[in-house]
Amino acid sequence: MTSTTPAEITGQDHANGHGGHNLTGMIIFLCSESVIFLAFFAGYIVFKLSAPQWLPAGVEGLEVRAPLINTIILVSSSFVAYFAERQLQRGNLWGFRAFWLLTMAMGAYFVFGQAVEWRGLAFTLRDGVFGGIFYLLTGFHGLHVITGILLMALMLWRSFKPGNYEGGEAGVTMVSLFWHFVDVIWIILFALLYLWQG
Amino acid sequence: MTSLSPKPATNPVLTLVLVGLAALVNLGISLWMRAQVPFWLPVQASNAAPHVDGLFALETAIGTFLFLGCVEVILWTVLFNRGSKYDMENGAPIEGNWNLEIVWTVIPLIIVMAIAWHTVGVNAILATLEGKERVSDDAQALQVASTANGAQQTLGPVQVIARQWSWEFVYPGGVRSTELHLPVDRSVSFELVSLDVLHGFYIPAFRLKQDIIPGSVISYRLTPTRIGRYRLRDSMFSGGYFSSNQTDVVVESANDFAAWLKQAPRQPLAPSWNAATELHQRRLANGNRGWPVVPPAPPPEVNVGLDPASSHEA
Amino acid sequence: MSSTASYDPRVLRAPHPVPGAPDNWKRFFTFNTDAKVIGIQYIALSLFFLLVGGLLAMIMRGELITPPSDLVDPSVYNALFTMHGTVMLFLFLFPVLNGFNNLLIPTMIGAPDMAFPKLNAIAFWLFPVFGVLLMASFFLPSGPSSSGWWAYPPVSTQNPLGQFVNGQFIWILAVALSGVSSIMGAVNFVTTIVRMRAPGMTWFKMPIFCWTAAAAQIIQLVGLPVLTGAALMLLFDLSFGTSFFKPEGGGDPMLYQHFFWFYSHPAVYVMVLPVFGIFSELFPVYSRKPLFGYPLVAIASFGITVLSLIVWVHHMFYSGTPQWMRNVFMFTTMLIAVPTGIKVFAWIATLWRGKLRLTTPMLFCLGGLVNFIFAGITGVMLATVPIDIHVGNTYFVVGHFHYVIFNTITFGVFAAIYHWFPKFTGRMYYESLGKVHFVLTFIGSTLNFLPMHWAGLMGMPRRVASYDPEFALANVLASLGAFLLGVAMIPFLLNLVSSWLRGPKADPNPWQAIGLEWLLPSPPPLENFEDDVPTVLNRGYGYGLNLPLVADEERYVQRAKEA
Repeated sequence: MTSTTPAEITGQDHANGHGGHNLTGMIIFLCSESVIFLAFFAGYIVFKLSAPQWLPAGVEGLEVRAPLINTIILVSSSFVAYFAERQLQRGNLWGFRAFWLLTMAMGAYFVFGQAVEWRGLAFTLRDGVFGGIFYLLTGFHGLHVITGILLMALMLWRSFKPGNYEGGEAGVTMVSLFWHFVDVIWIILFALLYLWQG
Repeated sequence: MTSLSPKPATNPVLTLVLVGLAALVNLGISLWMRAQVPFWLPVQASNAAPHVDGLFALETAIGTFLFLGCVEVILWTVLFNRGSKYDMENGAPIEGNWNLEIVWTVIPLIIVMAIAWHTVGVNAILATLEGKERVSDDAQALQVASTANGAQQTLGPVQVIARQWSWEFVYPGGVRSTELHLPVDRSVSFELVSLDVLHGFYIPAFRLKQDIIPGSVISYRLTPTRIGRYRLRDSMFSGGYFSSNQTDVVVESANDFAAWLKQAPRQPLAPSWNAATELHQRRLANGNRGWPVVPPAPPPEVNVGLDPASSHEA
Repeated sequence: MSSTASYDPRVLRAPHPVPGAPDNWKRFFTFNTDAKVIGIQYIALSLFFLLVGGLLAMIMRGELITPPSDLVDPSVYNALFTMHGTVMLFLFLFPVLNGFNNLLIPTMIGAPDMAFPKLNAIAFWLFPVFGVLLMASFFLPSGPSSSGWWAYPPVSTQNPLGQFVNGQFIWILAVALSGVSSIMGAVNFVTTIVRMRAPGMTWFKMPIFCWTAAAAQIIQLVGLPVLTGAALMLLFDLSFGTSFFKPEGGGDPMLYQHFFWFYSHPAVYVMVLPVFGIFSELFPVYSRKPLFGYPLVAIASFGITVLSLIVWVHHMFYSGTPQWMRNVFMFTTMLIAVPTGIKVFAWIATLWRGKLRLTTPMLFCLGGLVNFIFAGITGVMLATVPIDIHVGNTYFVVGHFHYVIFNTITFGVFAAIYHWFPKFTGRMYYESLGKVHFVLTFIGSTLNFLPMHWAGLMGMPRRVASYDPEFALANVLASLGAFLLGVAMIPFLLNLVSSWLRGPKADPNPWQAIGLEWLLPSPPPLENFEDDVPTVLNRGYGYGLNLPLVADEERYVQRAKEA
């Protein structure tokens, strides 16, 4: 297994050593964070299969078209984020910032789209088990999207500091990872909520 | 500082005799402990009890043997492997012994798997839980419970209605009671219902327990085998005065039971005496001091109520 | 010793505490990123909450010494046992073990600090926040949470006064914050162990405490989020009108139990694994013998991690689970006895033909070991479904888990405090006071928790404020034991405080132990080995094997002595 050299500990290679730590830490954190979503998914599945009354009265199902568009935009934004990282690796700071900002915009559109969908729904958080788990799942995910956007804003602001990338681009890599994670979670969520109806 | 302590000259025959003797003594003590088990448990009043007690006695014997063996070795080292206070000499530099480690991995594995396998069989014998049906509200719960069909020759189903904090039993035919009367040596089936929170249907003398889940009706069955008066306690914490949510189970001969069932409807429906209600009224009379508590549900209206002065065997 | 002239000025300017330096104690109240400071902060604050939890227990045992509910109102008793459990688990046990993680992991692996020092400090400072929150709930009009530390709905969502901010609400918030703090810690500890070991320290040359710490923290990472999910759903049911667990709204109370126990069973292994590590570290030192079967003991730690995640339904055998589920989980639960047994036998084999020294830490380890064998046996009994049906939710379970949590885990915590006290404070504790603490604690804990098994077998339910007269004797014995335990804390606290203030200065290696932390001065400087990290050649525990722990070992021993 890996062992650290004295150089890494003394800090000569301090930034890279710590960059490595940061990435490991972020991966471990994301593995843990995914479990809370897995728990909610398990709850959703159990409720759907066993609740005596699943959909609230008067609700036939969920509309799929608009959420599908949101999904496409969110998933595409992951690719845009990847392009941004590539630009950064090539040293093209303005290219990075452009793609990064576009990712944020696509994420913001997703949040907006979610809010629009929420406002148009015929049921609330309190409408039975379905209402509760729907808003809990989409709300909790939405919070993560907003967090991702904020983290990206922080990375964008940092990109303007001279010498910010001397120690490596661990921060950007970490936030990218987080964004991809949020994406994958949404794909599963979308499949459970919108594709698996009835 | 790092010198080896000399390996003590051991006589293999003496060691074998000593270990064998210790094992025999331990076996004797384990069997004696097993014989003590009935004194630690209530009387056996159901057909499940002997099986449960038998399993427990077996595990007590095995556990005692294991415990004694381990503690004796530990005591031996404490007595005979001591270094004095300033003695920094090292012990024997033994890092491990794969054979020994394999033995103490495989043997416990076999023992616990054997116990588990044997218990699956016991579980099958004890299969008392019949089924659970989800319902949405109290009215539906009571309706499902009252229309359930019991098997032939089994008494019942007797509805068990758990509330914060009282027990109510409704017999086929409509007799309502806070005391659970049962005929001896006859299987009885129940429909367990809770009108508010989780409760636990627990009769220690029967060695049986089943949680009651609001929103579900649970079918349950048991067979009492000993005449007497036993406690039924709420075993799942249900808030407030949960400690007082107890009642009595009266197991009587078939004739006595039939007589009781016949004369019960002659008593008019009246609220049963209820410990929680009494405690709550006392609390209110004292200025309602304490932290907030859900007011007790009104005591059930029954033909046969609870006698606060009743005593029980177990 | 107390004049500042003997200290290197750079050391005095450092934010970390320096024994004997003026105003040293103030440094412990600051936002300090040094893991050794954070470790002591965790331990000190958790010992305070041990006293709080203990006080609640004293009142409970005062109530239970007589059958009727005559000391406090039943509603107060419900709050007492709820908060006793909550405080002991979330404000004592988890933090004190995190404290040891902070002290021991970097020093044992030769790292200067944790991977994320600032995150470490934030994780600690959440602790006083959720601690105060929980204590504050006592002063709400609705009182603190009174639904048991499990907080099972529907009882936990009943909210008698109908107020938005109530004890249960605060409880959920505090537990959620505790979860956030723990996850931060877990990310930190695992990253540190994975990435920051000294050169030459492969996994199988790493101290066993770090193995068990890694195993325990991985459980936290996998299990805690499920509890957070459960807590969130419970909060929504309580305060926002959802029906996740409310049958009248289509919800299922059983789902909460599954979520809750999916974390809370592995949680007990989070607590016991580090103590297994402590026993594995201390038995070799005080028998002057290598740890018997180190590789298997190390791997067994991860065996426990994996198995701990597939046994949770054994808390629900009597709940309405189908027969096949009970059988499956009975098998998995029984399986855990195997890696646990491996460790127990390894410790006994470590003692065999050693040169035992019955110091206070060793006494606590020996006592903890004997108690744990007993607890393990009652654990197998509880895994046996028909037995659990009878004794589940009775005092038999209370006896069993206190035998684990107090008579094993807390014994291990005491052992660790005494053992590493000289290393991290630079002072030696008073041995005779320590032995008094042990004797009182062993007698008190046996008297307190052994009779509970009998009460449970006879059918006394748990969490009751009053009971039928036939349980009186068991309860009198238990209460006497509890009061004795309260008294036992006095020599312990006296020892800690007076030794730290004016105990004799300690050697860098008073126990002549083999391990990287013992090559450091007492107390270790900021960044531990600084820029002179040793290269590890062999595993620790090499007593009598004549193998050097690190290259150039003599130099480090000299350096530690001169510091």
